[in-house]
Amino acid sequence: MANVIFKDVHKSFGSFVALEKLDLDIRDGEFVALLGPSGCGKSTTLRMLAGLDFPTSGEISIGGRVVNDLAPGKRDIAMVFQSYALYPHMTVGENIGYPLKKRGIKGAARAEAVQKAADLLQLGALLDRKPKQLSGGQQQRVALGRALVREPQVFLLDEPLSNLDAKLRSYMRAELIELHRRLGKTMVYVTHDQLEAMTMASRIAVMHGGHVQQFDTPDAIYNRPANRFVAGFIGTPPMNQVEGTVEGGDFVIAGHRVPIDRTAYSADLHDGPAVLGVRPEAISIGSGEGLPATVRLAENTGHETIVTLELPDKRRISARVEAARRLDVGQPVALRLDPAAIHLFEATENGARLNLDDTPASVIPMRST
Amino acid sequence: MTAIATDPPRSAVSSPLERAYARLGVLLIAPTILVFTLVIVYPLLAAIYLSVFSIYTPTLQGGFVGADNYVELLTGKAFWNSLRVTLIWTVGTLTLQIVAGVGLALLLHQNIWFRSLARSLVLFPYFLSTVVAVLVWKWLFNDLYGALNHGLMQLGIIDMPLDWLGSMPNAMIGVILVGAWKYFPFVVIAVLARLQTIPENLYEAARIDGAGPIARFWDITLPQLRSVLTVIILLRAIWDFKEFDLLYLLTGGGPVTSTQTLSLLVYQEAFGLNQMGQAAAYSVGMMLVMLVFMVLYIRQTKEKA
Ligand SMILES: Nc1ncnc2c1ncn2[C@@H]1O[C@H](COP(=O)(O)OP(=O)(O)OP(=O)(O)O)[C@@H](O)[C@H]1O
Ligand SMILES: [Mg+2]
Repeated sequence: MANVIFKDVHKSFGSFVALEKLDLDIRDGEFVALLGPSGCGKSTTLRMLAGLDFPTSGEISIGGRVVNDLAPGKRDIAMVFQSYALYPHMTVGENIGYPLKKRGIKGAARAEAVQKAADLLQLGALLDRKPKQLSGGQQQRVALGRALVREPQVFLLDEPLSNLDAKLRSYMRAELIELHRRLGKTMVYVTHDQLEAMTMASRIAVMHGGHVQQFDTPDAIYNRPANRFVAGFIGTPPMNQVEGTVEGGDFVIAGHRVPIDRTAYSADLHDGPAVLGVRPEAISIGSGEGLPATVRLAENTGHETIVTLELPDKRRISARVEAARRLDVGQPVALRLDPAAIHLFEATENGARLNLDDTPASVIPMRST
Repeated sequence: MTAIATDPPRSAVSSPLERAYARLGVLLIAPTILVFTLVIVYPLLAAIYLSVFSIYTPTLQGGFVGADNYVELLTGKAFWNSLRVTLIWTVGTLTLQIVAGVGLALLLHQNIWFRSLARSLVLFPYFLSTVVAVLVWKWLFNDLYGALNHGLMQLGIIDMPLDWLGSMPNAMIGVILVGAWKYFPFVVIAVLARLQTIPENLYEAARIDGAGPIARFWDITLPQLRSVLTVIILLRAIWDFKEFDLLYLLTGGGPVTSTQTLSLLVYQEAFGLNQMGQAAAYSVGMMLVMLVFMVLYIRQTKEKA
């Protein structure tokens, strides 16, 4: 049993508040990603869990045991640092074996465990090299090996793939997923890459400004974002957000009416200013009836085209269409929004989502846990 | 330019530009070589030349004696006694310098409130003129009114004032202590500079891996300090080996010859006994011993490059 609980955790550096009221309940064996922009407090969260930083207030527990006053070495965790932090004067084998050595595991038992970890990560041939003589990807695997060798309760990974090239990164992503499946250990994975979080994690904690904005499955994060930040952070391109006003059964954008189903939204939705959110793939571009717009840019990525559209009041939104679709710059079009895919948010800076329904507006393939 | 000069495959088929660079390189190092020849190579050759004569220092006159001076060096007691003294002094003071220097560097690397003040204060002995330092220490060591004896007696460690610089082994202990005091700041500064470049996350990783503070010192700090310590030890060994002023001022080599290092022996022979030829032979012998350190040092620095 190694669930991880953050209970009302605050962290300040001097007068700077890095984390405020952090509550996370990570289940045993779960793969959780901490996702957010730079400086949002992801590493700080992980470091507090590791015991390298201390919460200003609040409680952190691992496997039901409060660890606030426990030294890092006593928490039964392993951590992979963003910079790997391999011991430069030790060989690969000594690096991987070090956590065992410090726990009094000697001779054959240690050598066997090191060999097992090295085989798992295909490092067998590199055991006698120094970290300096390895490529970035190999170093990263050594860092993983040092974490794996001891089979700790919880794995902490701080952007372990960020120094790798795109190809190696996608390879290592698959490896990590496989590894997690095989070991079944709790993993907390820090990343600012939504693709990593979406593809690897069973749940994602989206963080911003020292707060957890939403802690949910990738599916829910994508399809039912809790607020405007999450909606705007997830997806490439992210969800379009258009300010306008609710008037009865319509959402009015620059004088044009988009019909909405008032029963699908909470009672907090009143007539007046609100923000309409719609994913690029839920916009269909046609002619005739609909929200008028002009094509400003069409970017063909090979398997799809991202279209930048300009609304009558000069605001821009993006839509996703099939690659074969021909659209000319300057061409006037009419947009139709899938009513089931319309999210409405409070008109504040990081307004909450007001949809009632929990049916996904669209479905993206998800990894089950 | 050195890259071109030491890169045979390329300079063998050098382009006009590379040859121009090589010429410029020679031109630029020429003044250094000239000065080097004048102040180092000439005296060196002169010493070797002098060592086969019996020369009376004030007149610099004397006759050729062949290897007599070297026979005296090998068969007499003076050289071997001084070599033994030099080694005791060097090993003793160097060990203290390293232990105290590394220890203090570790302390000053911590986040302690008086850190920046202490970092500047620690340099004080190193900057102090040797004459001043020796005067202060002579006063501290004085057997009649010295503060050291007073303190030790107050603490009840001794009941009679000790003769610090006038008897053995106290005199040797005294010079070793003063030497360590004078030169440990060099070690502190060099080690501290290296400590600050050890990535903090190595320590963090070690903590997670279950290493306590002592294990972290042995497994991370010390291996990381290895290269800088080797250089410091070699450099300081060379400098301590040929130390002159501190020993000369503090004990003058005494009592009798018990703290007479090779430098002092050479000086005594040349200007006390006025035997320049014999002194030159001693200094050549001393140079040969030092050559061992030099070779080690050169090998070490080459390895790093
Ligand atoms: N030791 C410290 N002293 C002061 N402020 C700090 C310290 N460590 C972190 N911070 C601040 O706390 C905030 C969160 O830092 P943290 O390292 O957790 O960010 P992050 O989410 O990991 O960002 P990144 O993606 O860039 O790694 C940042 O604004 C940072 O400036
Ligand atoms: Mg970080």
